[in-house]
Amino acid sequence: MATRNEVRFILNGEDQAIRDVGASDTLLDFLRIDRRLTGTKEGCAEGDCGACTVLVGRLTPQGLRYDTVNACIRFLASVDGCHVVTIEHLRGPEGGLHPVQEAMVALHGSQCGFCTPGIVMSLYALWMATATPSVTEIERALQGNLCRCTGYEPIVKAAQAASAGKGQSQDPLNLERNTITKRLSDLRDGARVEVAKGEDRAILPADTADLAKVLEENPEGTIVAGATDVGLWVTKFLRPISPAIHIGHLEELHEIAEDDAAITLGAGVTYSEAALTLIMTWPHLLEYWDRIAGWQVRNMGTIGGNIANGSPIGDTPPALIALDATITLRKGGETRELPLERFFIDYGKQDRAEGEFVERIRIPKPAAGQLHAAYKISKRRDEDISSVAAAFRLTVEDGTITEARIAFGGMAATPKRAAKAEAALTGQSFDEATMMKAAATLPEDFAPLSDWRASAEYRMRAAQNLFRRFWYEKGTDEAVRLETA
Amino acid sequence: MSLDLKLDGRSEDRFGTMAQGLLGTPADRPEGVLKVTGAATYAAENLPENCAFGMLVRAPGQGKVTAVNADEVRAMPGVLAVIRDERMIRNAAQGTANEAPVQGVDHAEYVGQPVAVVVAESFEQARHAAQSLKITTEGSPGPVDPDAVEPEGEPTRTGDLDSAMKDAVHALDLTYTTPSHSSTPMEPHAAIAEWDGDRVSVRASLQMLKYNRNELADCLGISAENVRIQSPFVGGGFGSKLGITAEAVSAAIAARELGRPVRVVQHRRQAFETVTRRSETTQRIRLAADAEGRLSGLGHEALVSNLPGETFAEPVTQASAFAYAGAHRVIGERLARLHRPAAGSVRAPGEAVGVTAFECAMDELAVKTGLDPVELRRRNIPDKDPSSGKPFSSHMLAAALDDGAGRFGWSDRAPEPRSRREGEWWIGSGMAAAFRVNIMMEAEARIDLTPDGAVVETDMTDLGTGTYAILTQIAGEALGLPAESVTVRLGDTDFPPGSGSGGSWGSATTGNAVWLAALDLRRQIAARLDCDEAELTLRDGQATCGNVTRALAEVLGGDDLRGHGHITAGDAFEDVVQSTFGAHFAEVAVSDVTGEVRVRRMLGSFAAGRILNEKTARSQCHGGMTWGIGMALTEELTHDRRDGHMVNRDLAEYHVAVNADVPPLEVHFLEELDPWSGPMQSKGLGELGICGAGAAVLNAVYHACGVRIRDMPATPDKVLAGLE
Repeated sequence: MATRNEVRFILNGEDQAIRDVGASDTLLDFLRIDRRLTGTKEGCAEGDCGACTVLVGRLTPQGLRYDTVNACIRFLASVDGCHVVTIEHLRGPEGGLHPVQEAMVALHGSQCGFCTPGIVMSLYALWMATATPSVTEIERALQGNLCRCTGYEPIVKAAQAASAGKGQSQDPLNLERNTITKRLSDLRDGARVEVAKGEDRAILPADTADLAKVLEENPEGTIVAGATDVGLWVTKFLRPISPAIHIGHLEELHEIAEDDAAITLGAGVTYSEAALTLIMTWPHLLEYWDRIAGWQVRNMGTIGGNIANGSPIGDTPPALIALDATITLRKGGETRELPLERFFIDYGKQDRAEGEFVERIRIPKPAAGQLHAAYKISKRRDEDISSVAAAFRLTVEDGTITEARIAFGGMAATPKRAAKAEAALTGQSFDEATMMKAAATLPEDFAPLSDWRASAEYRMRAAQNLFRRFWYEKGTDEAVRLETA
Repeated sequence: MSLDLKLDGRSEDRFGTMAQGLLGTPADRPEGVLKVTGAATYAAENLPENCAFGMLVRAPGQGKVTAVNADEVRAMPGVLAVIRDERMIRNAAQGTANEAPVQGVDHAEYVGQPVAVVVAESFEQARHAAQSLKITTEGSPGPVDPDAVEPEGEPTRTGDLDSAMKDAVHALDLTYTTPSHSSTPMEPHAAIAEWDGDRVSVRASLQMLKYNRNELADCLGISAENVRIQSPFVGGGFGSKLGITAEAVSAAIAARELGRPVRVVQHRRQAFETVTRRSETTQRIRLAADAEGRLSGLGHEALVSNLPGETFAEPVTQASAFAYAGAHRVIGERLARLHRPAAGSVRAPGEAVGVTAFECAMDELAVKTGLDPVELRRRNIPDKDPSSGKPFSSHMLAAALDDGAGRFGWSDRAPEPRSRREGEWWIGSGMAAAFRVNIMMEAEARIDLTPDGAVVETDMTDLGTGTYAILTQIAGEALGLPAESVTVRLGDTDFPPGSGSGGSWGSATTGNAVWLAALDLRRQIAARLDCDEAELTLRDGQATCGNVTRALAEVLGGDDLRGHGHITAGDAFEDVVQSTFGAHFAEVAVSDVTGEVRVRRMLGSFAAGRILNEKTARSQCHGGMTWGIGMALTEELTHDRRDGHMVNRDLAEYHVAVNADVPPLEVHFLEELDPWSGPMQSKGLGELGICGAGAAVLNAVYHACGVRIRDMPATPDKVLAGLE
């Protein structure tokens, strides 16, 4: 296996080859301090505010794909083989301002201006992807950007105004698409990348087999997928992560496979990559998926990472447990499969051996009679961690509940099934009384804690009320959900 | 030469007679292109050659501070210095302090106080070294709980409120609380300091440079002439950049010690702690009303807190002094000396939280009296200031209430709570009045007029408020020049001292100084044309006097002219009470399942004298209303009960409104000129939008679902508990 000791990528138009890269070096600091590209801002250093939004383009089997990401928590080593596009690269079809930039000036979408480059980049990515975005699409694109001045409305209007102009085909990123694809292909040498700054090391395995090897060689290493959590270990908690073992670039882990029985997601599949397949199969996930963080984080964060970090408040585990998902763990050449809920043993403790990694997630396809719902409750509408997350899968045949899978996040030290409630529902007729009787069993299965996000009493009461919401939605015609209210 | 004006009475409206047609138009901000391209350089950018990187280190507790392993840290790779200097500041200076705040690093008076700065060759090395510096504190911590100490101060009493309460047909005695708030501008606090001999230049992110210059000089023990501060672009301030801040002082100290430029950027979590927060408040509000809802008395008493040695006490009751009639009054603040991080001005100090709580109480009185909330307020509009007996310069509350109610469709509202339900959602609407005192400061500005156009210079700042745009418009209007011919240069203490940005006074105060500088030029031009300045018409670079029109360049005849203006507040701000007014209306939905609140629409009608730029004015109101949503529903800084430290000091957990929290916002301005406010007849607008906005939301929550939240914010747990 060949090893390369430099990170290679394209920054705007220029090829970069950098040897001196540590595990904790972020893309943002590289841009702002090393390259003096100060248009990209740092507002929070933890992926909340979006002031550091840039585009990262990478080759996928479907072609060159650009995503918005938070440069503050994107590690520099991880952009190996990518095209990094910053605000400085934007221009209009005839030079000058890009239509998004023009609209932001004319509609006063920029006041103090500090969040502006990040917002321009988010809207630019939207503009490239969607010629005439709906307000919902615009708002989705802005989920990961905070602004303290404008109240956002002028920004939404700017996005609408910019979309009127068209011109996507003449945009430099589209005109240069073939050239960039070629240049990125040329960067692929199939080598493992190992770089360091002093003792601070980062490794990009060549492929999944090599990953297994790297993990065996470095069992103490920190596996970094999307870095939406690990990034904060560095920028917020200032923890060392060396050696960082990156997996976000491994194409095999981005695979989404579908057969008659199931959908299988590689552990490196991002929330954004999974969205379409999952929502087409399980429409109830549409709204839920949009409540996960913001656009940039969904572009970076992976479902495998959301599972593997074992958080009791991760958004995907409850939804996946209700869907009866299983995961495959791999160590060296050995693999084993287990139901997702069994992966979570206790707070901070998962069924993962040293050197083992989550390779894929398998979700059985829906069957007849299944009623699905997934709910997220948080203090703030977007960009917030769940106080309570809940997912339901009830199979109802001829008015009788024949199977129930209900999972909660935020209610225990791990994502957890509501075993008593499931038992109380199974075999009963599907009606409001049954639902509320099942809800009443929750205190037998859960003793949530009080923390800054919610009190124990609130968590319990809201969780129970979600049984009522489920009944409203599935058993009656009167449901009006907030997004449509 | 300078044209000085002290505002002692009414001013003549000169802009009504100007011909350029620039002022009042919704002009784009001239610096907009720099901002959307990322080319505007904020404080941490423009790195000089050989710049070193500094990182502040915080005290993990209160008490005597020891840096245990400073020598070890000094030996770490790249580390240049570990500095613990007595001149470093405990917390940011208060707005307009003009002198150093409390200094010192040996004793931490609150958790999070900066007690060292570590400087290294690279940012990563500085960050690592700062994290490695082990700080210990010892000694018994000071109190951190507002209820645990005897507060200072007494409210002002007029008449006999206790008796009025007893005699009232309707009496309410209510307590509201608001938590600490943080300004959290998008740009974290940052500075780059560089010395040239005994003179230090600092690029910083600050709001009021003429004060900041004196504050920094005082901190360093040097003459103000040896300090230059530049803040051409400020990524938001909202009060957090009023006074000199910790990173600027420590960057200057470190740069001196190392003999090379030093950059210090506060991590977002540090900025939460070292920059002044808005104090938490406990507000007791008493209302005594007759059968018709007319107030015979009102009480507004607030308990706020601050660190020992700080002069600032959140002026919660500032607007209550003049907002409503009522002969018997108890109004004022008490200040608890606590060892929480320092408190200071945050957008609309006083009114932001004071008007909000008071307007919630007025809503409760409306319910109690059975009166429509708009009508209740109308009935209690005073004809003169109830506290001082002085007249108002203008009073636009009734007009704002009527305008807002009409546009919102208020008359369609069913008066009873829980009148409307859609699925799991209760739908309701609420309103509140808005008040914000109008303040005038002192400011100077100069304009250089050449055949190429005009260059305006003042050390005034633009925090995103629109100063560049508005000063361009004022100068262009007064001098008959299109916007393209006017250049505005701001944010440099080498320029004449402006008012600084704060207290909504920026455009009215510094704008009037620019007008005076332009008037100075107009007089020089008129003299060259041998006519009276009042007869002079300037438009599109042409000067007309009587039937003579000449190109301005020709009038200049090869000379460059300089005008200088200087404005100060005088009796116009003593003889009358000046305020801006408005009315907020909000519609919300409350989930019966989760207690979540969604604001569905919001509308504000505002009066603030002449509107100088409809676009920037609207933006200010949008921002303020959005802050009102945050105050009502999400924004809350939580202090640890044991040691007072800020628990949620980051953007993940301190919840400023995201886009999805903000519904369509409608803003309307009432036509008004206020001659008492100065020659521009314009009053401050930057803060009016937040005053009372949160109350409209909370009153709508009550109307929707019958749950009254008196402890802000109305988080889902509080609402759901009320729904059961």
